[in-house]
Amino acid sequence: MTTIIGEIEHDAVTEILNIAVGQAAASLSRLVEDEVTLSVPFVEFLTPEQSAARLDEATGGGLSVAVRQEFHSSFSGDILLIFPERKSLDLVRSMLADTVPLDQLTELEQDALIEVGNIILNACLGSLANQLGLMIESSLPTYVCGRGASILDSKHVDSELVMFLQVDFSVAAKGVRGYLAFVMDIVSAQSFASTVSAYVARVVAG
Amino acid sequence: MTEKTILLVDDSRVARMMTGAAIVRLRPSWRVVEAGNGEDALIAAAAARPDYVLMDVNMPGIGGMAAAEHLRRDFPDAAISLLTANIQDPIRYHAERIGVGFLIKPLREDDLARFLDSRQGES
Repeated sequence: MTTIIGEIEHDAVTEILNIAVGQAAASLSRLVEDEVTLSVPFVEFLTPEQSAARLDEATGGGLSVAVRQEFHSSFSGDILLIFPERKSLDLVRSMLADTVPLDQLTELEQDALIEVGNIILNACLGSLANQLGLMIESSLPTYVCGRGASILDSKHVDSELVMFLQVDFSVAAKGVRGYLAFVMDIVSAQSFASTVSAYVARVVAG
Repeated sequence: MTEKTILLVDDSRVARMMTGAAIVRLRPSWRVVEAGNGEDALIAAAAARPDYVLMDVNMPGIGGMAAAEHLRRDFPDAAISLLTANIQDPIRYHAERIGVGFLIKPLREDDLARFLDSRQGES
C-alpha cells in the first residue's frame, strides 16, 4: 500500500504539501497574531490502523479533537486537522483572547476550533488545488473528538490509506502540534498519485 | 462620517464575533447586521438595506456565492465582498465575474479598513 506512489512523486507531494501547509501556517499566524513556526511536514502513507496508533501515541492515549471536511475532485476523501484535546483550548485562547471574555471561551471552544480548522484546511486544500491546477470541492467542516481510530473513522480499513503529516504549528510561546490526515480509498489514492505524476511531468517539461 | 449599515454573513458564530469586533474597532458608529446563512442574508438585506456586505462562501443552503450574486443585483450601490477561507483561484475568478470583492480569512484589519473605505457604498 505504501508503494502506491513513486519516489519522485513522494518528493513532489512533500513539496506541494510543504507549500500548502506554509499557506495554512500563514493563515494561523494571522489568527493568533503571533509567529507560527512549522516543521517541514513529514509525509507518510500509512494504513488507518497505523495512523490511529500514531495519534494515540502523540496524546499518550488521551483524546484528540479534529475538524473534518470531505473533499471531492479527481480524487476524494476526508481531510482532518487534528490536535491533542488538552492543547486545543490553548489554541482557542491565543486566537480569541482579545475578542471573547474568558468565561465564554469554553462554551465557544468547539465553534472556534471549527473556524480555525475551516481556515487551515481550506488554505491547505486551496493551495493543493491551485498548484495541481484542480478545483477541489469541500463540505462544511465538522467537529469530532475521540481516540485515534474514531477520529479517522475509516470505513474500509483494508482498502483505505492515510496520507499523514505531522505539522508542528508551534506558536512562538506555546507549542501546538497538530496533524493533518488525508483519508482516501485506494482508487482515489491512485488517482491522486497520477495527478501528481502529471504535475511532475509538467514541471520537468518546464 | 455618515453612519452606514454593514451586513455580516457567516454560519460560524465565532467568525461573526471576530469580524464584528474588528468592524466595531474601525467604525464604532456603524450598524452591524448579522445573518447566519445566505437565505437569511437576503431577508436581512431587504430590511436593513446595507451599504456594505461581507459574505462567507461555504455555508449551508444556497451558499455565499449565490447570495452575493443576488445582493449584487438588488443593491447595485452597495460594496460587497466575499470573506472566505477558500483561496482557490476559481472562487476568486467567480467573485470578479459577478462583480464582488474577494477577501480571505483570517481577515487582516488593513484589508478590512480598505474595504470599509471603498467608495461604492457611497455612490
